[in-house]
Amino acid sequence: MTTSNREPVYEVVWPLAPSAAAFAPLASRAPDLSGKTVGELWDYLFKGEEIFPLIRRALAQRYPGIKFVEYETLGTIHGRDEAELAATLPDQLRKHGCDAVISAVGA
Amino acid sequence: MLRAAAIAERAGVPSVSIVTTPFMQQAAVVMKGVGMPGLPIAEYPGVPMTDGPDTVRAKVEALMEQIVEGLAKPAVTTATPSVEPEPRDLVFRGTLDEVQDFFYRSLWTDGLPVIPPTIPRVERFLEFTKRAPGDVIGRLLPENRAATVWSIAVNGVMAGCRPEYMPLLVAFVEAIAEPEFRVQDAGSTPGWEPLVIVSGPVARALDLNHGQGVMRVGRQANTSLGRFLRLYLMNIAGLRIPPGAGDKGSIASTFNVALAEDEAAAAEMGWTTFGQDQGFVRDDSVVTVQSVVSASPPIYTAGTRALDHVQVLAEVFGRACAYWSCTGMKYARWQPLLVIGPSIAKVIAADGWSKDDVRAYLHEHVTIPAREAEKYAWHLGSTAFSLRAQVEAGVLPPEYAASGDPDRPVPVFVKPEWIGVVVAGDPGRNQSKGYCNNHIQGGRVSKRVALAR
Repeated sequence: MTTSNREPVYEVVWPLAPSAAAFAPLASRAPDLSGKTVGELWDYLFKGEEIFPLIRRALAQRYPGIKFVEYETLGTIHGRDEAELAATLPDQLRKHGCDAVISAVGA
Repeated sequence: MLRAAAIAERAGVPSVSIVTTPFMQQAAVVMKGVGMPGLPIAEYPGVPMTDGPDTVRAKVEALMEQIVEGLAKPAVTTATPSVEPEPRDLVFRGTLDEVQDFFYRSLWTDGLPVIPPTIPRVERFLEFTKRAPGDVIGRLLPENRAATVWSIAVNGVMAGCRPEYMPLLVAFVEAIAEPEFRVQDAGSTPGWEPLVIVSGPVARALDLNHGQGVMRVGRQANTSLGRFLRLYLMNIAGLRIPPGAGDKGSIASTFNVALAEDEAAAAEMGWTTFGQDQGFVRDDSVVTVQSVVSASPPIYTAGTRALDHVQVLAEVFGRACAYWSCTGMKYARWQPLLVIGPSIAKVIAADGWSKDDVRAYLHEHVTIPAREAEKYAWHLGSTAFSLRAQVEAGVLPPEYAASGDPDRPVPVFVKPEWIGVVVAGDPGRNQSKGYCNNHIQGGRVSKRVALAR
């Protein structure tokens, strides 16, 4: 704090802290889902049980041979600890041969 | 949900995430925090829980192009980490009013004036901890900033804490950085708020109120400690209401003042202190942080027998928690807190009841019809929830599916040991109060306070 003629002046610091985010590139995309396997990640919230079947039908009409690993197989993603999810999800996706995933529902 | 997508992407599996329009700003904070600001999103317009089947179908059909594009089209990530100030950099110079305006415009305050965080003030706080200013206690999602000791001191100054509170502030952050606290969910729609319970000698040394008006602002320690946590969640976890983002509390609530127990009263009646209940010894100085999503009405109970009191406590505290009990049944963790007035606790204890006896009574006598628990879960958004499925999954004990009768009573409090009991409040009145927490979000975490002096 310094003093001017009229009132004190304060020199202040930043109240935030360094970002701990490790930036990473996205995975290579899947331009054609024909014959590919799509995993469903659901947080078991907000009508996913209605939304996922609609998506399955729509994608199956566009992409012959597309397969789905339905959300019951991969289990809920909501409520799991970050570390636990990071430890188990990649193995689950590999085990079920997922070429892509749809994650829902953020609300 | 976005964090799961980010984990898939890091594992080499492309993703697309369905996010509803009202959550797009929060999604941006989460994506930046996980280091993937370009995560593909398919935006569901509106609120699924108020859409009928035909509307859901139409909206999903409209989403399909975004879903396909998200999985197929290489994303262009334009965001790069921005250059941010170093801890000792001076970010502003001005009068008190100018500092307030600058901090307010920068979304660094809770809307109340703050004490300007000058370097000398911050350094006075640092004298009260043995930890180095650059020590990182954890990282706080969703914005994912490093919880440094320096940042704790800065926000402690701003909140109006005294320098000698610093060991508690450090302990608070140690608690909220633990995975079981789930700080990443502190901006969820229920709008829960942390509640701190301070136990042991430090509560007396810092003049925390445990008596009449215990949960009201007015005592510096109780008030500024509670305010600190809200500021810290805003500034380090990145939980801000509009015009900021990250905090999606729909209606939400404001900060709680820190709660201290009337430990002398507890000792006099032969009860364990809350700190002891958390696994510490009576002389340990301990802080406990947990979420609070709602409070019961004030609960007045009268009589000379324990049962006179616990029956009414069960009725009123039980009703206050019953609606939200479906969350505990879903997530297998839920830690309501009962603050019992000293005069009431004295009667209960004199009748030979321990805190565990009170917990056991509440567990046994507070029930909700199964149909109602499932109904409330559905309205909340758990559209696939069923008690039977939870029992089959081993989440709930068999008594929750004991029959097919939809009106069968099931316990509101899944496990008696989840109920916290604190003796506090006005010793001159026969009043208690209950607090409902937000299931696994803001789980109860205790930390010993490391005093530097």
